Amino acid sequence: MSIISSFLDTMAALARESGFAGFMADGGWKNIVMILISFVFMYLAIARGFEPLLLLPISFGMLLTNLPGADLYHPDFWNYKTVGDNDHYIDYGQILQHGGLLDILYMGVKLQIYPPLIFLGIGAMTDFGPLIASPKSFLMGAAAQGGIFFTFIGAALFGMSAAECGSIAIIGGADGPTSIYVSSQLLTDKSTIGVGTIALAAYTYMALVPIIQPPIMRALTTKKERSVVMGQLRPVSKTEKLIFPILVTVIISLMVPSAAPLVGMLMFGNLLKESGCCDRLVKTAQNELMNIITIFLGVTVGATTQADKIMNLQFAEVMGLGVVAFSIGTACGVLLGKLMYIVSGKKINPLIGSAGVSAVPMAARVSQKVGQEEVPTNYLLMHAMGPNVAGVIGSAVAAGVLLAIVK
Amino acid sequence: MQDLLSSLVTVATISPNKKDLDAGTVSSVVITGIVVVFIALILLIVSVSIYGSLFSAAAKKKAREEEEAKKASAAPETPAKAADVTDVSPAAPFIEDGIEEETVAVIMAAIACMSSSGAKKLVLKSVKTSKPQRSAWSSAGIVENTRPF
Repeated sequence: MSIISSFLDTMAALARESGFAGFMADGGWKNIVMILISFVFMYLAIARGFEPLLLLPISFGMLLTNLPGADLYHPDFWNYKTVGDNDHYIDYGQILQHGGLLDILYMGVKLQIYPPLIFLGIGAMTDFGPLIASPKSFLMGAAAQGGIFFTFIGAALFGMSAAECGSIAIIGGADGPTSIYVSSQLLTDKSTIGVGTIALAAYTYMALVPIIQPPIMRALTTKKERSVVMGQLRPVSKTEKLIFPILVTVIISLMVPSAAPLVGMLMFGNLLKESGCCDRLVKTAQNELMNIITIFLGVTVGATTQADKIMNLQFAEVMGLGVVAFSIGTACGVLLGKLMYIVSGKKINPLIGSAGVSAVPMAARVSQKVGQEEVPTNYLLMHAMGPNVAGVIGSAVAAGVLLAIVK
Repeated sequence: MQDLLSSLVTVATISPNKKDLDAGTVSSVVITGIVVVFIALILLIVSVSIYGSLFSAAAKKKAREEEEAKKASAAPETPAKAADVTDVSPAAPFIEDGIEEETVAVIMAAIACMSSSGAKKLVLKSVKTSKPQRSAWSSAGIVENTRPF
């Protein structure tokens, strides 16, 4: 008889500790809703092809973190401990001792390791040739960062804290790693939004670039401006390509030191590629290292999307302001393109300005597509790649500025 | 206006948790941000343009010199070339049996393509089938073992 009762007791204890009981517990319904939301993002990634390489890991991280009792990620471990008046720190000892798998991996995000390594891979894949051949493209890459700073105003109007304003604004840079880099550094446990929310908004809108940008581009340009056919770019020598990454690293790092990790690694990757003597390292940076980091980054950023950080009004505000940031960035780029069209004597097609929001190479492809709608033989792609890669440098600088101001 | 200007000057850093930012603070962030991004990228434009123009000038100079050198060397050579043709034809490449003319043409074309820029003229001397040094199996083994390097 005692065997049966102890068996029943054990079964009852197991049931109480199971995840199912967690769903029934106080606030457990929120986890169910979050799991359903993760399914929506998985659907968007798999069936609709929305940035699947990132959205799928993010959505799976979202699923894992919302399973009650799995203890893969502990948001309370990441609370800042205040020391003195101004200093605060995270207790990494506690995380290493008691953290779950995703806590350990999330250290790479919080300690600013993953985004610069992703930039290393991006640098190893990027050809800065079009930008070197036409340095004025930098201007459009700078103008498109206007989206970041104007959105800062919008977020401030909603009464958000400085950290939240900066994190939402950086979505306008249309650069996932930069958004994660800035938001993970700015947001504290007192913030109402999490890094995961920012990443979700950034990657969703990056996938929607071909839908968001064309109407803005058409609205701001005339048919005549869109029909400008641009000639070929001058060939760029290997030495020029070798000097470029070194020069950019030195200038940007001296001017905005807080942008050095991102710009430095981006340019290091590019130098490896252009040197032509480090094939093995380039291959690793482009493929294996980048893929490993993408998995770690995606799944851990997904894990930060806890119910209380997503199911609130701020999430809607982030999504709303995010699309505003993207649109203003696109508009600023196109408007500067228009200015350059006038100044250059109608030689520059303003459509390439929209590529100044990073989102490489999607934004450049959009410029190409919209241009070809007017003149089917017009190849704007290489011209648009200039502002596009300038946008990556520009958003890294903008990130550095935000980090230098908000601290 | 005075307030706005003074806050522009004084707001160097903002605490992350500061809420309800005032107009002065926000505009200082916006103006600083846009100005810094533009200055940084304009600096890059200037430096890239400078070294870009240096390099394209150097490239042009080199191209002009090469052209002149070509012109200078081409003029006296023309009569000699005509005489050469008859000399060269007997020294036609040795071609092993069983290799089709098409294959020889392709090899010739590949050589011409790879050596198009230099002033040197390459001549195909012979075409032979290569004898494998190792058996297919041992070559495969060597490839497999040395691939990571």
